[in-house]
Formats: sequence, C-alpha cells, structure tokens
Amino acid sequence: MPRGPRQPWTDRQAAWRLGAVACLVLLVIVLMVGFVAVRAWPALQANGFVHWLGPGGDVDRQLGDMIKTGQDPPDAAYHLRAWPLIYGTLLTTGVSVVVGLAFSVFSAIFIVEFAPDRLRGAVVPAVRLLAAVPSVIYGLIGILVLAPFVGNHLISLDRKASVQNVVQLDGTGVLVAIVVLTVMITPIMIAIVVDALRAIPPAWTEGASALGANRWEAMWTVSVRAARPAIVAAAVLACARALGEAVALSMISGSRGFSPNPADGITYIFEPIRPLAASMVENVDAINAPAVKSSVYAFALLLLLSSLALSVGGYVAKLPMRRQGLRI
Amino acid sequence: MTRSHRLTAAVATAGVLAVAAPAGAQAASTITISGATGSAPLVALLAKKYVKLKPGKVKFKLAQGGGEVGVQDAAAGRVTIGNAARDPRPSDPAGLVFYPIAKDFFCFDTNPANPVPDLTLAQAQAIWTGQVRNWEDVPGSKVTGTIDLIGRTSASSLPPLVQQLLLGNKTISSLAALKPSDGLVEQTVASDKNAIGFNSGYYASQKDVHAVSFNGVACNLQNAKSGQYPGVRNYYEVTRGPAKGAASAFIHWIQKSPVARKIIAAIAIPLD
Amino acid sequence: MATATTPTTSFEAPLVEPFGPRPAPRGDRLRSWRWRHRLAFLVCWACGLALCGVTAAIVIYMGVRGIQYLNLDLLFSRPQPGLAQHTTGGILDPIAGTVMLTIIGIVIAVPLGVTTAVWLVEYGRPAPLARAVESAIEMIAGTPDIVIAIFGLAIFQLPILAPLSFTASGGGVFGRSFLAAGAMMSLIALPLAFGAAREGLMAIPSHMREASWALGKTRICTIRTILLPQIRANVATGAALGMGRIVGDTAVVVVLLGATLQIEAQGDVPVLGTLRGTGSTLTSYVYNASPAGEGNAPQKAYAAAFVLLMIVLVLNLVVDLVGRGRKERR
Repeated sequence: MPRGPRQPWTDRQAAWRLGAVACLVLLVIVLMVGFVAVRAWPALQANGFVHWLGPGGDVDRQLGDMIKTGQDPPDAAYHLRAWPLIYGTLLTTGVSVVVGLAFSVFSAIFIVEFAPDRLRGAVVPAVRLLAAVPSVIYGLIGILVLAPFVGNHLISLDRKASVQNVVQLDGTGVLVAIVVLTVMITPIMIAIVVDALRAIPPAWTEGASALGANRWEAMWTVSVRAARPAIVAAAVLACARALGEAVALSMISGSRGFSPNPADGITYIFEPIRPLAASMVENVDAINAPAVKSSVYAFALLLLLSSLALSVGGYVAKLPMRRQGLRI
Repeated sequence: MTRSHRLTAAVATAGVLAVAAPAGAQAASTITISGATGSAPLVALLAKKYVKLKPGKVKFKLAQGGGEVGVQDAAAGRVTIGNAARDPRPSDPAGLVFYPIAKDFFCFDTNPANPVPDLTLAQAQAIWTGQVRNWEDVPGSKVTGTIDLIGRTSASSLPPLVQQLLLGNKTISSLAALKPSDGLVEQTVASDKNAIGFNSGYYASQKDVHAVSFNGVACNLQNAKSGQYPGVRNYYEVTRGPAKGAASAFIHWIQKSPVARKIIAAIAIPLD
Repeated sequence: MATATTPTTSFEAPLVEPFGPRPAPRGDRLRSWRWRHRLAFLVCWACGLALCGVTAAIVIYMGVRGIQYLNLDLLFSRPQPGLAQHTTGGILDPIAGTVMLTIIGIVIAVPLGVTTAVWLVEYGRPAPLARAVESAIEMIAGTPDIVIAIFGLAIFQLPILAPLSFTASGGGVFGRSFLAAGAMMSLIALPLAFGAAREGLMAIPSHMREASWALGKTRICTIRTILLPQIRANVATGAALGMGRIVGDTAVVVVLLGATLQIEAQGDVPVLGTLRGTGSTLTSYVYNASPAGEGNAPQKAYAAAFVLLMIVLVLNLVVDLVGRGRKERR
C-alpha cells in the first residue's frame, strides 16, 4: 500500500533509536560479566573461593586430571589450587610495569627534551612501530631466539643441576617473560607520557629555568610532576595489557604451573611459570570437559575483576592529584 | 529506496537463497574429527585420499587436541569421530565404539649425540621417576649433566601407555616438561643433548633422534610386529554409538581398502 | 567514573610545529650540572638509543628471516597436513582468513562505534545512562582479548546461535566460525572506532550545529548531512587502528576460529557457508607452527610472521598518512 515518501526521523525517534544501539554496548558488558561468572561458579563453589586462590599441589596435574572426568563430574573433580598461576601473573605483570614505567619516563623525557631533531624523527616512528607489532611475533622471537640464547648461554649446567630435583630449566621462564613483556608494554606508556609532557605550558619550564634550574631539573621537577596523572594512567593501561597478554607469554614463560622459589637466588629468574591468561589459552583445547571449562572461566573471572579493580585503582590514585589542580 | 523497491529486493534475495538451498540439501556431509596428535597426520592423509576418491560426497574437519580430548569430544557429540591412541578403558563414558585402524610403536628417544644403546626396566624407571638425575649415572650415555625429561601434556594418551608398558606402572615424575605434540617432543630431543623423551617410532626412523632399545630389544618395526618389543599402541576411530552414514563408510574404507592399507603402511603398522 | 584514557589518537598526531625542546638557555652547559643530573641525562640517552636499537633489531631480524624463508610459492599455495616441514604447503588460506576476519570485524565495529559516539555526543540523555555507556566502552577496551574470546565461545555455543556455526551430529554446537570470531573481533576494534568518532565530533565547533539548527534542520538531519561527512577522516583513522588490532590479535582466533588448516565452508550457500565455516589466520598459523603450538614448522612461522608484520606496517602507514593529511588541512 503506497504511503508516499518515507518520513524522516524526528528527533525523539532518533534519540531512542540511537540510544538503543548504544545500549547494545552496555548489554555486551553485562552479558560478558554474567556469562563468565555463571560458568565460573561451579569451580569456585566446589573449592571455596579463598582455597581456590591458595597454594596446594601441582596445578598442572590437577588440570590434567580434570580432562578425564567426563560429562558429569563430582565436586572432587573440580579440585584446583590456582596460586602458582596467580603468583606467575603477579610476578610478570608487576616487574614489567615497574621496569617499563621507569624506562618509559626516561625515554619520554629523551624524546621531548634531549633528542636532536634527526634522532627524534627516528625514535618516534620506532615507538609507533613497536606498539603496532602483533604479540605473536614477540612470542615467536622470544621462543626462537631469546629462550635458546638464555638456555644455552646463560644457564650453566651447574645451575641446572642445582635445581634438578625440583624443576627443569630450559631457557623459557621468568627472565624471558619479563623482558618480552616489558618491550611490549613500553610503547603504550611512552605514547601517553610524551603526550602529557608536550601538553605542559612552556611557561612553566621557562619559569624554572629562570630560577636557575638546568634542563633536566626543569623537566623533572616541573613537567614530570605535572604529568603525574598521565603517568598513572599509563601505568594502569600497561598493567591491563600485561595482565591480559596470553599468547606471547604462553610461548615464552615456560608453560609450567610452578611457583619460583626466591630462596634459589639467581636461579629464580630462570625458573618456568605460567600466568593466568597463558593458562587459559593452553587449556582451551580441552574446554569441553566441564571441570576444565569451569576452571578456565574462573580464570577469566579473575582477570575481569582485576581489570575492573585496576580502573578503580587508577581513578583513586589520581584523586589527590586533582586537589593540586592538575587536570585529570 | 522507496518501500516498493525494498520489497522487490527482499523477494529477490529470498528467491536466490531458496534456489540455492535445495541444491545445498544434497550437500556433502561433514565429518568432524579431533583427538590424538600421533594419529592425526595418518588420519589427515587418509581423509585427503578419501576425498579424492569420492569427490563431493564428504567433507572433513580435522582438529587435534590430544587423545583424551578426542575421546571426550566424541562422547559429548561435539565431533563425529574421535582419534584415540590407546585401548578403551572401563572409565570411558558409556556408549563409545572403538574401531581399530592401525598400530604404532613408540620408543624412548635421545639426542644423536647421546646414543644410549639400551635401557633396562629398572634404569628406565629410575630415570623417569626422577630418582636418577644425571647422565653420569646412566651406563652407556655419552654426555654429562642433568637429564632433561621431555614428556607430554595430560591431553595425550601416550604417557599412561608408556607408564603401563615401559615403566612397569610407575608414574612419570612431575619434573618432566609437558609438550603438546609428538612433533615438539622430537624437535626438543633433537636440539637438546641432555634430553630424553618418548615418541612414535616414526620419528626415530627419520634419524633426527636416536631410539633406545628396551630390555635388550631394539625399538623397530620388526620387533614391534613380532611382539617382542612391548611398546605398541593401537589407533582407534571412536564414535558415540555405532558409526552411521558417511562416518561408517569412511571407517570401513580405512579398515578394508588396499589403498588405505598402503597409506597406513607408510607411516604406521597396518592391522592384519 | 573517569578511568584510564584509551590512547586512541595520542600518538598518531605527527610532529606539529612548534615542537621540540626549547633551545637550551645560554649558559646551560652539561659541565655545570651536578653529577646526579649528568647521570640522569645519560640514562635518558641510553633509554632512547636502546629503544631505537630494539626496534631495529626486531625489524631487521624479522626481515632477514622472512626473506630467507618466504617465497612466492608459499604465498599462493594452500596449507596441507604433513609430518615434515617441506610437505606442509603454503599460507594462502591464513592470508585469506586474516582479510575476511578483518572485514567482518570492521563492518560490525565501525557503524556500532560511530552510532554510539553520535548518541553520546549529540544526545546523551539520561546522563547516568551516558556515563554507563562510556564506562562500558572503557571496560571493553580494558578487557583482555582472551576473556573476550572465552565469552564469545560461551555465547556462540548456545543453541539459539547454532545457525552461525556448525552443529555436530551428536547435537553439540561447535560455536567456532568466522562469524563468531568476527563478532568478537568487532568488540576489540569497537573502542578505537568509538574514540576516533567521538574525538572528531567533539572537535566540530558548536557554531556549525547551531547554524544548521537556525536554518530549521532537526538534530538528526544535522548529524546526517553535516557532522558525519566531517568526521570521515577520523572514522577512517579509527577503522585503520581497529584493523591493525584485529590483524594482530591471536587469542580470539585460536579460541573461536576452529583451527582447521584450510578454510572449510559449512554448507553450500556460497558466502554464508564460508562465514559459518572454520579456518585459520596468519596469527594462529604462526602460533601453531611455532614451538608452542602443535605444528613444529619454524621456517613457515617466520615466513607467515613476516607477511603479518608487513600488513601491520602498511596499516600503520595508512593511519599516519591520513592523520598527517588531516592536520595539514586544518
């Protein structure tokens, strides 16, 4: 039935139609948290949340036993103590972010203040390139170049022998994981900090120079201090990226649910670990077994909650800076 | 677009799809397979030949994951056929049917720089349970230093078989590295002088690694066929309930056709 | 709740005048500095040079290996199953898979992102809902890609979404297909498209909108005819950034694309069949061929990684050029 030309949308129609599309996005997040939590529930309930987070036994063996338990597993089949994985995650993320932050701040100061024009023209695209490289390529270089180098040249036979009754060292482990992860998250941090340093009004640093500060002092005491909200934002973003890095770390971190022992001294950095995200990727093949599925979703829930906690933490960390008049 | 234009477009699209759909109704049926990494190349080659012999009738979707995963996937109905590399166990889910298709043998492998001639049962047990940790304590070894144990993940059916047939039911130490596939074990053993692993006999025949005799019996095809060498495993195709339709035709082709037997004989042991 | 800013465009702005260190004030010689400050100066230089060194090392190494192992034959032949490396064929299907997945992801993400940005900037009522939507996008941006992949698996294995993938004969929904992976990839690209569109919209001065309203146009008409054409370059940048992220993502592909060597269509309807089917992309191929996956073919891994790196660099260059063009026009 012909009705004449199509009527254009009125503003009110447009508002709720567009709003409905925008609410789809909200729905996605709600569904994500909901699905992950519901599927993680059996594992957490069977173990008790606190016990599940704690240590106890060989987590690899526990995950392996889950595969054989069939479609209707009893509560005992969900037994898991995830502490070695959590420890590995905290270790790699924490150290990478701290080292990366220091490196990024100094690099940013270099780019903004000290670099000659030609060198800056090389460093800025270099950082952009590093940020764009896919994580699987970092993992490939790690496992085909760095890990054999560490295994053959840095780990002496004596060192291997010293821990031979507890764990095998083969090059992949804490050291390679931290080095590669730091290289992966540094470009993001540099980008944010450079932006913030560039946004400082030059009058502030000129004022510092007028009072007798040299270039470094002016930079450090004025610009970097004023850019603290950005530095916090950079750290939070890098932390979130490091937490979620699954593929590169599954290739280079040793693939053993092992808690490195600080009492081993230097050998500590050569021992294998496996962070949470890497554990998820490695167990996805077996995810049809309900016990494994629940455990993997429990890892996912842990990662989701950590990302959320990071965002809130970042916001809270920037609050006192707001009082000083810095724009957050 | 006016309303009438849009209506025409919709009808036209529906018409095209309606024509395409009946043609698709006679589509090839799809067989999904997942499971053991040991038999995966064999099944892949068989599938490739089968598709060439019967074009358009059947399509294959091949995944791996490990023998245990294959059995569980078949039991849950997520795949049509699971590749299993071990005999059926009482703890397997009910209703599974195991169709034997081939046999394979597995050896202990060491690096060519360390051609250990023989391991007795006691020596193998001592090494793999982690009691003996240095090559100096193993007679016949040509290297010194820590023994690197290269094992497989729990998704593989090979470790329980090795434990049962070559280690007198002792458990492999948790020190062993966990590799997800046969190919990786071979690569690791071939590049690490101090490594020892267990793998399909096919890899030893490629000369990348050295196969160790067990209890004085060399690990090779003749000894495996004659039964003297204990390390033999059966490859099965596992289905939930008796195989039906295209899956049944494929499995019977593997078991009966001489073309299939030739393919199997190239990289494993055919059944006779 | 203000959360960490997503650096959508923070580093895409090319070098803009005036830029660079202020010329050193006269008399500020390094010799007059305290040793602590000289040390800091050295550390800054060391970090800068190390940055260049690491980048050069990665690019040169991947380039050398790639040229060593990549040949035209590999680019145009399909991957085959095989036990030894020289029998495993080429990388044509992974390249096609990467392209297909990127297209699906962008086709979903860009309209969704632009619509959400338009609603947020131009309407945005009620205010709590607007803040919630903004926080939701930040949350999606901060979610690890493996969690998004697992969520995708949960969603697409529901029986209601069975037509989007393959149902095994036992009744289990496979849940892995190009559509499933593409839908989750769009989530990964969404915050970038949204951020770029929002930045573009906020940069348009309000007098343009007001002039249009003064002429009697409705808000939605203003958006359609005046604002959207102006943010085309921003949206292109956002789309290119999103494509870069999609091309480089591995976790979603490993979980949701079914891990078959070749692209296997599901059913016989021409395009829909491939979308419902499984396959692989360059990233999952590199992962599987490396010593961490099941393949064990490092030479093929290098070749595929080289192709992947080239694609990502070209995309980056496109973003650069579009951004520079935009800045010059302003």
